[in-house]
Amino acid sequence: MADSTPILGDDGLTLKAKLRQAERRNKLKTFGLTVPLLAFILVTFVFPILLMIARSVDNPVPVRAIPQTLEALQSWTPPTLPAEATYRLFAEELLAADETGDLGRLASRLNYDLPGSRSALTRLGRALRRGAEDGQSYRALFEEVDPRWSEPEIWAGLKALDGRLTGAYYLAATDRTRDVDGDIVLQPENTRIYIGLYLKTLWVSLLVTLFCVLLAYPIAYQLATLPTGRANLLMILVLLPFWTSLLVRTTAWIVLLQSQGVLNDILVALGILDDEGRVQLIYNMTGTIVALTHILLPFMVLPLYSVMKTIPPNYRRAAISMGATPSRAWIDVFFPLTIPGLGAGSVLVFILCIGYYITPALVGGRTGQLISSEIAYHMQSSLNWGLAAALGTILLVGVLALYWIYDRLVGIDNLKMG
Amino acid sequence: MAKLPPYVTLGDRLWTLGYKLLCGLIYLFLIAPILVVIPLSFNAEPYFTFTPEMLHFDPAGYSLRWYRDVLGSEDWLNAFRNSFVIGVFATLIATLLGTVAALGLSNSRMPYRASVMALLLSPMIVPVIISAAGMYFFFSNVGLSQTFPGIILAHAALGTPFVVITVTATLSGFDRSLMRASASLGAPPATTFFQVVVPLIAPGVISGALFAFVTSFDEVVAVLFLSGASQRTVPRQMWSGIREQISPSILAVATLLILLSVLLLATLELLRRRNERLRGLR
Amino acid sequence: MDATQAAVRFEGVQKSYDGETLVVKDLNLSIAKGEFVTMLGPSGSGKTTCLMMLAGFETATRGEIYIGQRSINRVPPHKRNIGMVFQNYALFPHMSVAENLAYPLKVRGIDKAERETRVLRALDMVQLAPFANRRPGMLSGGQQQRVAVARALVFDPDIVLMDEPLGALDKQLREQMQYEIKHIHERIGVTVVYVTHDQSEALTMSNRIAVFNDGVIQQLAPPTELYERPSNAFVAHFIGENNRLDGIVRSRDGDICQVELGDGSMVRSLAVNIGGVGSRTTLSLRPERVTVHAKAGEIDNVFAGKVEELIYLGDHIRTRVSLCGQDDFIVKLPNSDRHAMLEPGANVHFGWNAGDCRALDG
Ligand SMILES: Nc1ncnc2c1ncn2[C@@H]1O[C@H](COP(=O)(O)OP(=O)(O)O)[C@@H](O)[C@H]1O
Ligand SMILES: [Mg+2]
Repeated sequence: MADSTPILGDDGLTLKAKLRQAERRNKLKTFGLTVPLLAFILVTFVFPILLMIARSVDNPVPVRAIPQTLEALQSWTPPTLPAEATYRLFAEELLAADETGDLGRLASRLNYDLPGSRSALTRLGRALRRGAEDGQSYRALFEEVDPRWSEPEIWAGLKALDGRLTGAYYLAATDRTRDVDGDIVLQPENTRIYIGLYLKTLWVSLLVTLFCVLLAYPIAYQLATLPTGRANLLMILVLLPFWTSLLVRTTAWIVLLQSQGVLNDILVALGILDDEGRVQLIYNMTGTIVALTHILLPFMVLPLYSVMKTIPPNYRRAAISMGATPSRAWIDVFFPLTIPGLGAGSVLVFILCIGYYITPALVGGRTGQLISSEIAYHMQSSLNWGLAAALGTILLVGVLALYWIYDRLVGIDNLKMG
Repeated sequence: MAKLPPYVTLGDRLWTLGYKLLCGLIYLFLIAPILVVIPLSFNAEPYFTFTPEMLHFDPAGYSLRWYRDVLGSEDWLNAFRNSFVIGVFATLIATLLGTVAALGLSNSRMPYRASVMALLLSPMIVPVIISAAGMYFFFSNVGLSQTFPGIILAHAALGTPFVVITVTATLSGFDRSLMRASASLGAPPATTFFQVVVPLIAPGVISGALFAFVTSFDEVVAVLFLSGASQRTVPRQMWSGIREQISPSILAVATLLILLSVLLLATLELLRRRNERLRGLR
Repeated sequence: MDATQAAVRFEGVQKSYDGETLVVKDLNLSIAKGEFVTMLGPSGSGKTTCLMMLAGFETATRGEIYIGQRSINRVPPHKRNIGMVFQNYALFPHMSVAENLAYPLKVRGIDKAERETRVLRALDMVQLAPFANRRPGMLSGGQQQRVAVARALVFDPDIVLMDEPLGALDKQLREQMQYEIKHIHERIGVTVVYVTHDQSEALTMSNRIAVFNDGVIQQLAPPTELYERPSNAFVAHFIGENNRLDGIVRSRDGDICQVELGDGSMVRSLAVNIGGVGSRTTLSLRPERVTVHAKAGEIDNVFAGKVEELIYLGDHIRTRVSLCGQDDFIVKLPNSDRHAMLEPGANVHFGWNAGDCRALDG
């Protein structure tokens, strides 16, 4: 028994090796089926996102446009001003950059770090094109063009542009900046935007998740306890909005909630409000929260419903037969068993909520915008793509972390729609 | 209505009543937007609220003018055409790739199953604003931005997770011994696939395709980032309609879209029943 | 039994779920204190419904149910003090075994120390003390079953209801559990109402069995009586194996009647539940009560039959015989050398006594 000889096939391979080979071939075949989609997703989805992440640290312009100036500035420290030679070097490189169009790009780039500094560079470019007066030092010329050139701040800003990669967008995305000495500091209070916005986004998502729980729980319970026929009928009321276009639902909320809208009209007609006292329910945070709750509610109802459906009614009966009042039985036995569904639904709603763009953008007005609107703004209007990418990357990391938690909690396999 | 047992107290009765009322209100919240949009789309006046004529069911308060507006507008018609073209092509790509991948994913021998699944479903989880920004950078590099193929590829990517989910779910209930049975009866693999596998998974594939189509048909963020003037879709048109000159014709479009979703829902329900019947569940 | 002493009493109870068909029709049943009564019947015969009405999870459409002297129609289920064992046990999956057992004590406000001693005692009773801290999901089916029994008993209920509690177990475990439950009942003397569709289970455990069919109790009797003296064709057929012979009553003399079968043979039978002369009847005859090589004069009925088939079953041999115009007449022959083996095709005389052949409703 102990020294059994391996079973050999006619080609001399052991049976075990052959089995392993066949197994490997099978695995490869199975994996092969997913290759086309994997490739497609990698190219059209993953790679673009990696590209965006790369954008958030990419800094090609300064090292291309003013390499020597940047090198010269490395040996300079504030609060003095750089040496005359550095001024000259900078002027020459700027002129060359003007030819290639890099001057404008450099100005925009500097402007991201030092808001308002664009004009200092563009004016300087214009003056350099005209040429310096005889005998005038570059430093004098610079200071004549724009008084900011006599301050060390702008030079410190230029110095910080060095490097092919930059963390500047992440600094900006977290309301931070570098001071003259190159240390990272918080921006002045009145220009801090993003941290507050991230917190607001988290807070709104939390609220929406909470509202979804509060609204979904009762109807999921009802759907799970009613006889199948009537439950299916009521289920339509959950599924129809789920299947209706987002923009349709958003439009509908505008129609319902605006100050001349249906709800205000009803309240006025009922005498609860007077005509002057119409409440602003949309184009603000209220609008965002109401519309998001409505849109994400089905994502909470469906997982809750499917969990409740699997809880045998006998559990509650057992508790009651042992002497628990119906409400006690509900609290001790039914509710704890629905917590997995509650967790799954909550994480899902929360994930979907923090990245939501369309609805807040349309019904949020000025105060109801979330972080996604800021990303869209920098993508489309300010064209500060580096900052948009940094903001997006931070959001992405948050979402992926939640996705991971969701996977741990419920398993992605259990993600189901409709 | 089941009769309540005789030991039920007044408090219990009130509690039950209150609970039902609460549920009613929540259903109202869910359905109210849809209920409001449909009648208002027949408003004779350019208002977004019920006119006194409408409330008195005066025929003069109702009209089809906004539908005429929409159907007579080159912009809207173009948008519908674009949406359908993009939707159909994106659905074809997503369904084909998604179904093939699901065949692999539902096999227990699939290596790295969980990780691959997580990756393939991520387009559904990653906020569209991020995917769209990335695609914008990538597609402008390769000359696909502001083209139909660009939007179709983007929508196909966003739609594949739904196909993967529905088809894997269908396949997970699929009894693989059926394939062995078919083979043992002498059918070659191709015959087995088309005669046995396809009919059984078809409902799952079709509902996955419907999900993918709706995803594309309802998608606006990627379109905002990737489309030019000639690729405006219905949601894109509604988006600017809401942002710029909100006109009741948007309600007419909304009603048409609701009609579409009712049709989709009905189709899905029929598919679900067919699926259950095929598996002898009812 | 004196109705006023009954622990449980159903009086004219009817139940309809849909307002049209009666699932339970006019149920009258008294169960004495400490008795083990089984409701036995095919699936769908209304057993669970009766149990649920007693537990309070369904309301009787008509009639009264009493526990002791008290009508409980207006008592909510959690105040009825009834222990219950459900078919799939309904052990709370999020609580440990000990917590499951402590639950009924906790809701009664019993303090922690007392709870612990009673839980331990109950666990000892079912020999599961080492498993106190496990979750029910980590126990085998038989262990879960015992936990469920212990949980139903731990709070000293007046009555324990069990709805097919052994249905999910395999045969061997089921038989073992039957004895365990029976012994626990004997030891603590609680009133048990037990539901099953398995006749051997009912015969093993019960003091009395109520055979249900179609919402009506067909017979209520102790196991031996039910087997030996079924009062109608349904019971005879449902409990144990049974040869049915259809015929017409030709004459009656006290307890004995003459029945003419389809092929004209006359059978002397015990008149149990028949109409007048000329009415249809079904004769019920246990296969083990048939004698082989019977001689006329020694036994009431003797008929010639032809052996069709022999099936060897270890302790006995099942023999299928053509007899009295029927070809599915079964005779059970004990496997002992006293009996010479019959050969298929042999013509043999079979006989039985009138007292073993019961003429029941037609
Ligand atoms: N909750 C219910 N609603 C409607 N009909 C029911 C319900 N429960 C049981 N029934 C019906 O009542 C009859 C008796 O059921 P039940 O008491 O469960 O029988 P048993 O336990 O003997 O199998 C069956 O025909 C069943 O379909
Ligand atoms: Mg039952």
